[in-house]
Amino acid sequence: MKKAISKALAAGMAIVMTLSIAACGSSTPAATSTSTAAASSAAPSSTAAESSAPAGEPVKLTFWHIQTTEPFPGLMEEWMKNFSAENPNYTVEVTAVQNDAFKQKLLISMSSNQSPDIFPHWSGGPMNQYADEGKIADLTTYMNENNYKDRFMTAAINQATYKDKIWAVPVENTSVAMFFYNKELFAKYNLQVPKTIKELEALCDTLKKNGIIPFSLANKTQWTGSMYYMYLADRFGGPEPFNAAAQRTGSFENEAFTQAGNKIQEWVKKDYFNKGFNGLDEDSGQSRTLLYSGKAAMTLMGSWFLSTVKGENQEFFDKNVGSFPFPAADDGKGDPNSVVGTVGDNFYSVSATSKDVAGAFKAITYLIDDKAVATRIENGRVPPVKGVKVTDPRLQDVLNAVEKAPYVQLWYDQYLPAEVAQVHKDTSQAIFGLAKTPEQVNKEMEAAAKKYFGK
Amino acid sequence: MQSTKSLLSYRKRNTAIAATVFLIPVFLFILIFIVYPIINSFWLSLHNWNGISSKKIFYGLENWKTLATDTVFYKSFLNNIIIVILSIAIQLPIAMALAFLLDTGGKKLNFLKMVYFLPMLMSSVAVGFLFKYTYDPQFGLISAVSTLFGGEGMVDLLGNPKVAIYAVITVICWQYIPFYMVYFLAAFSSLPEELYEASIIDGATYGQYFWKVALPCMKGTVKSAAVLSLVGSLKYFDLIYVMTQGGPNGATELMATYMYKNAFQTMQMSYGSTIASGMFLVITLISLLTLRALNGREEA
Repeated sequence: MKKAISKALAAGMAIVMTLSIAACGSSTPAATSTSTAAASSAAPSSTAAESSAPAGEPVKLTFWHIQTTEPFPGLMEEWMKNFSAENPNYTVEVTAVQNDAFKQKLLISMSSNQSPDIFPHWSGGPMNQYADEGKIADLTTYMNENNYKDRFMTAAINQATYKDKIWAVPVENTSVAMFFYNKELFAKYNLQVPKTIKELEALCDTLKKNGIIPFSLANKTQWTGSMYYMYLADRFGGPEPFNAAAQRTGSFENEAFTQAGNKIQEWVKKDYFNKGFNGLDEDSGQSRTLLYSGKAAMTLMGSWFLSTVKGENQEFFDKNVGSFPFPAADDGKGDPNSVVGTVGDNFYSVSATSKDVAGAFKAITYLIDDKAVATRIENGRVPPVKGVKVTDPRLQDVLNAVEKAPYVQLWYDQYLPAEVAQVHKDTSQAIFGLAKTPEQVNKEMEAAAKKYFGK
Repeated sequence: MQSTKSLLSYRKRNTAIAATVFLIPVFLFILIFIVYPIINSFWLSLHNWNGISSKKIFYGLENWKTLATDTVFYKSFLNNIIIVILSIAIQLPIAMALAFLLDTGGKKLNFLKMVYFLPMLMSSVAVGFLFKYTYDPQFGLISAVSTLFGGEGMVDLLGNPKVAIYAVITVICWQYIPFYMVYFLAAFSSLPEELYEASIIDGATYGQYFWKVALPCMKGTVKSAAVLSLVGSLKYFDLIYVMTQGGPNGATELMATYMYKNAFQTMQMSYGSTIASGMFLVITLISLLTLRALNGREEA
């Protein structure tokens, strides 16, 4: 009996471990954070000296990034070495972090006021939250100096702006969601790229008749299905319904979202998507396998799809991959040239606790100077700077789509605060799973937004 | 007389000092990494905190009130209970059967012992990925086998809210049966050889030996295995996280995954802490009740 109890105690200890996960990182003295914030906002006075030759005490900057696919880890190191070479009093400690681990790592470092001097994020809701909490430095003065910000696409600067201040530098990539399709299959069944949703549906029916799955989707990942939802909502109602709802001047119980949800459920019922999509994982490539094998014809995906396919299946990339923008709704309010995506992808911010905001900002500029831009393009990226020219015609298509777009809708799950974003991801998955009606989903979204914003 | 007594007390004191010195590091470890976090989660659960803000707003019992009416939490608790029941009902009997087979089979089955233990050696993430591909409706092994037997293929397991949890439980069992097998195997080998010989000489069959002799002798082991499985299932996290992340549509959400989502993904650290504290209370209560039930029967 005693033995059993001691065993149970040991087991009890094991439970406790679950608790300890949630409790790490806490209690930061409020005084220090505000005082450092004050110190850093005083920093701009040193910018005047920025153009002059660097002199003074050695400064060590810490820099995290999440560019873990080759060749970027090496390039990041190289660009930071260039920075140190031209500014000898600076050394930069570069750390590459895996995407998934990064969010928790950053959260914990912030809660203990030990965030790195330079770190990336995706702008949108979380960036606004960092800014509100005084965790990131205001970069407006640096961005305005010599009109540096005019180097970037306007949509990119808009994404980095919150409350009329610029909080981050757009750097990594321009990714917008587009339809990617298998050209060979389209040619085989004599199909034309659709211009309207009606044409798209006719095309899907033809594919289905021939035993081909129209859309491949891996929606365990949730943001994948969300892309269909965002585009449909945009095509039916334009950008206003979402923006109004997210800024609490409107409501999520809007006709556009209902129409989008209904259209998705109609497509699901017609078997336009591969079976079991809600259990498949985009990150392990389960949707691309369907395309490579010729079982599915199209997928709606961010333009990073191009570089992923190039890395995974060069032959398929060369012969089969084509793209077209999301078609127009026949009676929708949305501009068919609008795109959903991000102009910048990763934005780099300087921590409010950084000892040298000016130096850290200068370091970031080396990630996106002319040399870096050229290298990024060589490696299949589209840096968010004006006048980019790329050689790959497929990448140029993406770029054209962005430049032509009257409006770039940032991914909902990055635009919304994390708490509401999670509700969006869960509910959009439920729409695909036919588990909830669009009306129910709108109500849930509205309730979540009300709870978060308090109105 | 006097001197022996003082020597005794001297030795006693010495032992006490040595024991204290040896225990201090462990004690500190437990204090810092276990006791403090528990108290801190309870403390956090009384606040409203997003995880990064420098100010925490005292929130009283608001979080607990939310938890008490949170249908997702109840749903995830029920899912945990399903895992508990199925784990104990599937893992322990199969593990026991394998252990008995290996024990009576002698040396020639040593190879099997190794093979059966393999799943336990793989990391949960690897197991999760392995079965994610196995369950793939288009290309997976399960669909292929179903087509082979005349089915239409396309067996959707992880994407179907009705069966997703059972699909994951199958994998959990596959992974944990070897653990309990080894656990029972050790118990079997600790039974005296004479017991087996005596039973056989008295004319017992293998079945009679197992049911009437060996199993009653291993009552304690089976009980502690059941408690281990119970607690493990209640705080289960990893395979669910890797394979479904609680989806589709919350069908496989567990208390631990729900806690993780709140604490780290949606920036509601204080509510995450509330769920963690709630889990702590629920798991402790269930374990104590189970232990009392098991031991009560023993004494009767």
